[in-house]
Amino acid sequence: MGEKSQVPPKKPRISPMWKRTVSQIFTKPATTKYPFVKPQLGSDFRGEQVFDIKLCVSCGLCSRDCPAKAIEMVEVDGKKRPQFMLDRCVFCYQCAESCPRNAIKSSVIYELATTDKPSLVIKPRASSATEATS
Amino acid sequence: MPNSKVDIISVIESKFKDQVQIQLGQLGKAAITTSNGLHREVLKAIVDADEYTAISAITGLDLGANLGVLYHVRTSNSFLTIRAEVPRDNPKIQTITDITPSATFHELEVTDLFGIVFEGNPLPGHFVLSEYWPQGVYPLRKDVNPNEVKLNPPSNEEMKEPETGRVVKIILGPQHPALLEPEKFAVTVDGETVTKVEPRIGYVHRGIEKAAESRTYLQDVYLIERICGICNPIHACNFVEAVEKILKTEVPSRAKYLRVIALELNRLHSHLLTLGHAGLEIGYETLFQYFWRDREPIMDLIELTSGNRVYSSLMTVGGVRRDLRDTDIPKIKVTLEDLRKKLPFYRQIYEDERTIRARMQNVGVLKREDALKLGVVGPVARGSGVDIDVRKDEPYEAYAEIPFKEIVYTSGDTWARMNVRMDEVEESINIIEYAIDHLPTGPFRVKAPRVVPPGETVNRVEAPRGELFCYVKSNGTANPDRVKVRTPTYANIPAFLKTAIGESIADVPPNFVSLDPCFSCTDR
Amino acid sequence: MLLMYGQVVRMIDGWLFLSILVFPGFAFILLLTLFCDWMERKIEARIQNRIGPMVAGPAGILQPFADLIKLMSKEDIEPRDSKRFVFMFAPLVAFTIMVFAMCFLPIDGSSVISSTGFNGDLIVVLAFVTIANFLLFLSGWASCNPYGTIGSARVLTQFLGYDIPLFLIALTPAFLAGTLSIFKIASSQSIWYIALAPWAFVLFIITLQAELEKDPFDIPHAESEVVGGLETEYTGAKLAFLHLTRDVQIVFGSALVVELFLGGPYGPVFFGLPAFWYSLWFIIKLLAIVLLTEYITTLFARFRIDQVLRGSWRIILPAALLSLMLTVALVTWVYH
Repeated sequence: MGEKSQVPPKKPRISPMWKRTVSQIFTKPATTKYPFVKPQLGSDFRGEQVFDIKLCVSCGLCSRDCPAKAIEMVEVDGKKRPQFMLDRCVFCYQCAESCPRNAIKSSVIYELATTDKPSLVIKPRASSATEATS
Repeated sequence: MPNSKVDIISVIESKFKDQVQIQLGQLGKAAITTSNGLHREVLKAIVDADEYTAISAITGLDLGANLGVLYHVRTSNSFLTIRAEVPRDNPKIQTITDITPSATFHELEVTDLFGIVFEGNPLPGHFVLSEYWPQGVYPLRKDVNPNEVKLNPPSNEEMKEPETGRVVKIILGPQHPALLEPEKFAVTVDGETVTKVEPRIGYVHRGIEKAAESRTYLQDVYLIERICGICNPIHACNFVEAVEKILKTEVPSRAKYLRVIALELNRLHSHLLTLGHAGLEIGYETLFQYFWRDREPIMDLIELTSGNRVYSSLMTVGGVRRDLRDTDIPKIKVTLEDLRKKLPFYRQIYEDERTIRARMQNVGVLKREDALKLGVVGPVARGSGVDIDVRKDEPYEAYAEIPFKEIVYTSGDTWARMNVRMDEVEESINIIEYAIDHLPTGPFRVKAPRVVPPGETVNRVEAPRGELFCYVKSNGTANPDRVKVRTPTYANIPAFLKTAIGESIADVPPNFVSLDPCFSCTDR
Repeated sequence: MLLMYGQVVRMIDGWLFLSILVFPGFAFILLLTLFCDWMERKIEARIQNRIGPMVAGPAGILQPFADLIKLMSKEDIEPRDSKRFVFMFAPLVAFTIMVFAMCFLPIDGSSVISSTGFNGDLIVVLAFVTIANFLLFLSGWASCNPYGTIGSARVLTQFLGYDIPLFLIALTPAFLAGTLSIFKIASSQSIWYIALAPWAFVLFIITLQAELEKDPFDIPHAESEVVGGLETEYTGAKLAFLHLTRDVQIVFGSALVVELFLGGPYGPVFFGLPAFWYSLWFIIKLLAIVLLTEYITTLFARFRIDQVLRGSWRIILPAALLSLMLTVALVTWVYH
């Protein structure tokens, strides 16, 4: 059952804000000096996708399950590989979950803002295993 | 939870014996199918029997030859649905706003989206769709593809001259610093006193309900989650629970507790956001900064448990997507303990700070009988003495096993509503700590089929802003047939229209913020 | 002809130009205003547990200057329906008047224009404040925007209610010193007047908060109610002048408190030029008062307009009259 506030509010005394505002001047600020100081993120932060082409079997489940239609299967070396369009991606990582071979992993890269839109399309590269755009 | 013993089903059975069909256990406690015209009598009987009766939502359906109308009724101890149908070529049905005023906004939405005309509804005009939407095209009907609809060109009429004189119409919005999201409220002011408020919503309408019909259930979880940024896990949880009801999937116990932890963390951050925002509205920037500084560790916790600060994306059909690591638990406990220690300072400010008392007490008073008649939900209702809370009335997930208090204040003003939220912050901390201490072992997810057998169900949960409702109908394919979501702010806006009248125009922003509006939720 | 020219040349004093334009004239006042603006923002940020300006210049000290340059470089739009002349020139004239009023205050032991001021310049200076506020009201009114109209009407209502008490309370140090010249009031404070009439100091600070439109009397700038108040239609250089006017008003109000209650620029002189030490003491006392007003700003929420008016006519005005009577009584029977 509910707990009702039967007691009417008490008469106001001196507000604690007077003391607190003075003491806050001498405490360390809660904000950090970003971009000179960067925050620490957990290891399973859902940042930019890291795609391992050696594990991919071209099933296409990632592209089919993506809610934002941000993955397109493109031809690379005769096989279909996923191409991530980061400007459509919502970073839900359903693709990583649907992948039967665990070929898509997360990273802590979050500084993805850019003025160059074509750079947000991550093409699957045949050579290297890790993909990183700055 | 109201202490009522009224048995609505027997009341209806005794009054309307052969005229209606009652299916128990369907669509809530019971689904009552009536023929056209009888819905008014049935509803009147329910309203007379129980003062807590209010329309929770009205769903429109496209059933082919007919259009269906579902009235979802919330009473003190049950949740029913009344079914009615109208022919497609003459979709007219009588309104019920004279029986219960809580139905006004819901009827308007069905009129806009399905074309069903509710004869006698007091508010005219487009409500959810824009003025440029062509006449006669109703987007949620099955034969309409919104991509092919051509909007009317905007008219080039000149802006009217600002009115002078005593009675002035001030337009609050769509862009206004007092509102987080765009909506338009035309406030008629006589000197400094408000005499009338006319709402116009729909500026953020994205057609999510229609979009949900062309995506799979798995994709829809993420789509429904993006109805709102602040309360996103509860939307996902709501939808997922409804789908699990149709599938008759039993979610493992550990998943239920993990869901509770995620939902309560979300409630914490949402209430702290509102408390800070209320401070900003009354010009108290320092309080705003302090509240949001204390909200940051909660966002860090959400990031720790789910990988993202805002969209946690933890829910999926059959459980949760991630487990809670044992190494994270000490950090969660330390952060919550710190937050709990800070609460007495804020409570003291609300008690002692004279400027807050001057701006918030006796401002925007919503009396208990108005709250019951208008069907308000959430902290707005609990601030006016109406003790409804879905976590207590119809426990879902693990709430039946977790002890917590339901916070109710009786004065009904802005101050009471803010205090409800502040006390709920403490209750949420208690719930999370209990859930962590009693976390059962086992799997956190079961596999669920992707194709859902035909069926329909309703589900409701307690979002930070109030009761969140959804109705899901499946037709045996991988895509749902109809998804309807009714958000708490949609049900609470009529309360604002009532409480603003008679107050000074300077009281409108704090009054408005105290009902915690979230227009992304409202418009979907 | 040559004789008149020679006479004119002899009258123009090179030092006069330097003192008007640089120190303690226009450039000094401008730099002081920008510095006080930076200090206000840093103090407010530290109270609110954040960092404040930090990128422009070391510790963000160039931030107000950067804001000024940014505003000056933006597009200047004039609404079609506005009253052109008033719209364009009211902010500029208000700024000019405030800087002119500032020049009457002795900063380095003597004020800018004449070395001793004149008897009655306290009243003149307060009249300038009133005119500047009225010009701010006109600038909002001239923009013909519903929000501007409401905002400027609120400015007028508020400063009407608090201007009269401000005058009355400002007369208290005049009674204590027996003169209306700011220079004489400042220099005759062997004991600071804050100790002789502390009630007047408290009332003056409260009334000053209302005149400067700072929290809790922040209504004309209440964004959540009237989008920008009187600044709604202003952009570019005109908005820069409106902001500058407000900042100069804050500096001027604090400087007036320093002159009237804290002994002006006078303090111990250790070595070298007295003018240097006087300016230093002046700046230190000024910063202390700016700190005090900013602290009060962060402490409270915003009052409603009807609460503000009730406060001014029912509480502050009688209190101002009482304080004046008390001071006159004390001067007559106690301090002489």
